[in-house]
Amino acid sequence: MRLSDLISETFHSLTSNKVRSGLTILGIVVGIASVIAMLGIGAGAQKSIEDSVQAAGSNILTIMPSSPGGGGGFRSSASSVQSLTSEDAAALAELPLVSGAAPEAQGAGQIVTKSENANASIIGATPAYQTVKGLTVKWGTFLSDRNNKTSAQVIVLGSTLAEDLFGTDVDPTGQQIRSGSMLLTIVGVLEEKGTSGFTNVDSSAIIPLTTLQRYVTGSEYLSTITITVTDEAQMTAAEDSVTALLLSRHGISDSTQADFRIMNMADLLSSITTITGTFTALLAAIAGISLLVGGIGIMNMMLTTVTERTREIGLRKAIGADDNVISMQFLAESVVLTLLGGAIGIALGWVIAVVVANLLSMSAVVSLDAILLAAGVCAFIGVVFGYYPARRAAAMSPIEALRYQ
Amino acid sequence: MANAVIEAHDLHKVYDGAGAETHALRGVSLTIDEGEFSAIMGPSGSGKSTLMHILGCLDTPTSGTYRLAGRDVAELDLHELAEVRRQTVGFVFQAFNLLPRASVMRNVIMPMLYTRVSPDERDDRAAAALRAVSLDEKLWTHKSNELSGGQMQRVAIARSLVNDPSLILADEPTGNLDTATGDSVMDLFRTLNAEGRTIVLITHEPVIASQAHRVIRLQDGLIVEDATSANADIRQYQGGEA
Repeated sequence: MRLSDLISETFHSLTSNKVRSGLTILGIVVGIASVIAMLGIGAGAQKSIEDSVQAAGSNILTIMPSSPGGGGGFRSSASSVQSLTSEDAAALAELPLVSGAAPEAQGAGQIVTKSENANASIIGATPAYQTVKGLTVKWGTFLSDRNNKTSAQVIVLGSTLAEDLFGTDVDPTGQQIRSGSMLLTIVGVLEEKGTSGFTNVDSSAIIPLTTLQRYVTGSEYLSTITITVTDEAQMTAAEDSVTALLLSRHGISDSTQADFRIMNMADLLSSITTITGTFTALLAAIAGISLLVGGIGIMNMMLTTVTERTREIGLRKAIGADDNVISMQFLAESVVLTLLGGAIGIALGWVIAVVVANLLSMSAVVSLDAILLAAGVCAFIGVVFGYYPARRAAAMSPIEALRYQ
Repeated sequence: MANAVIEAHDLHKVYDGAGAETHALRGVSLTIDEGEFSAIMGPSGSGKSTLMHILGCLDTPTSGTYRLAGRDVAELDLHELAEVRRQTVGFVFQAFNLLPRASVMRNVIMPMLYTRVSPDERDDRAAAALRAVSLDEKLWTHKSNELSGGQMQRVAIARSLVNDPSLILADEPTGNLDTATGDSVMDLFRTLNAEGRTIVLITHEPVIASQAHRVIRLQDGLIVEDATSANADIRQYQGGEA
């Protein structure tokens, strides 16, 4: 049998029962689309987390307040524990391995201009914040030491926040805005930075730490101290000296009773990678089950088809079709069904991955590997689940098959 | 002297049933020459279906020799039998066995898909076969299930002709047709025979059998009568059936 005839016969058989062929394909489409979407979203999530952790810098230690004795892991809201102060930060900055220490407190509030208003997280910071976070100023200046000493009512806006309030490419420095009881003068606008670490600076507003403590939180405690270490190779030593210093400053002798915890970006990155990798694999495995179900659907449909077309098979054999040609014809049908389903599934999965990733404001990563995997699995399913029905068709006795009612 | 298309000698066929063996053919010897128009008759259970399957190379005899168009086929394997069916035998069935959703042309071309005939030649051959069975050209693109029974059987006969077989084997070809349509199909067989085709008809209807030139009567796995239709004792057989 010529290849062109095989294709034409296959096409003719499949289109003569469009609804059934369509439903069978749908099973494969759903399976492949979910595998592709899961892998794409998973890889995208992993990449966006890695990017944001890397953007934050790998020579950074983040110190947060923590309830004592709680062991590792995530615990009760960090803000409920108050243990870190500006004095801690100042002392940490003096350590030999530490090149900068940025104390930070967070609040949230509504920021009101003459015509617009926005809810934003308000970060209280010192000049060290700019260097530690690697921020650059687009217009105006960053906060100064003097602003902090005088608890000045000045504000630096993140790029997105500035756009929301004043529009694109408008320099708002010098204008005044309100937040709660404060009347703040805009002294600077930051360049776009992207999510880094745990905060998105772009949509935040930064005011002097002392101003925040006096007018917003009413407390002298900090939410975070971010430290840059002079040498990435010395991260562990730096972490140890930070721990020792804070323990002694807080008068705690037992390190298990520490009222703070230190997060190291490199450790964080590797544990996040492990978690997202496991999660992606889990989702892909669940999607794989639906693919398996789709494959069984193919086999089911092909077996029904073989039974339904018994007389046709008998006829084809009577007029001289070889067993091998018969089994090839049926195998071709199941392979075409799965490949068609696979192609549609890859396209659909890609679209789903992109759409979902967009909703989660990250980018999907549909790799060539995932596509090749899906295509390979499809061909495999087509052959494996098509083989048994095809053999069954080929093994029919033409006499019995022609007699079949 | 004409060449023999069918030379069967002492054919036996034994089926292994559940517990008991069934002796369907008990030594059938038969020679049919090129250009003959014969009918094989017999009641059900006479072994005529078994004989047809063996003559059509759908089955092999348990013992005996069978030469089809000069080729000994009694000991061929399934693969070789398929090849013989492809090249040498044209089947016509009682139930027509057309592909219902396929066009008339597609149905007639189908046997050639399994050969090396080029696509252009396939179209030519199919057209020639459809003209030979006088099927209206307007119907060629219709789906086969849109045709009447008589038209369907003409398409099936055209299909049996396209590979230019040495033997046309028709199994109760008029069984699903009314008398008038059945007669026109028999007329067609006679025309094809007049053009030189060798035709073997399997039937249990004496009226149909009498339209062949030669009638071979089978009973209990043996040939009980082999005569020209003018001499065959069809009446007696009819009585026996009733």
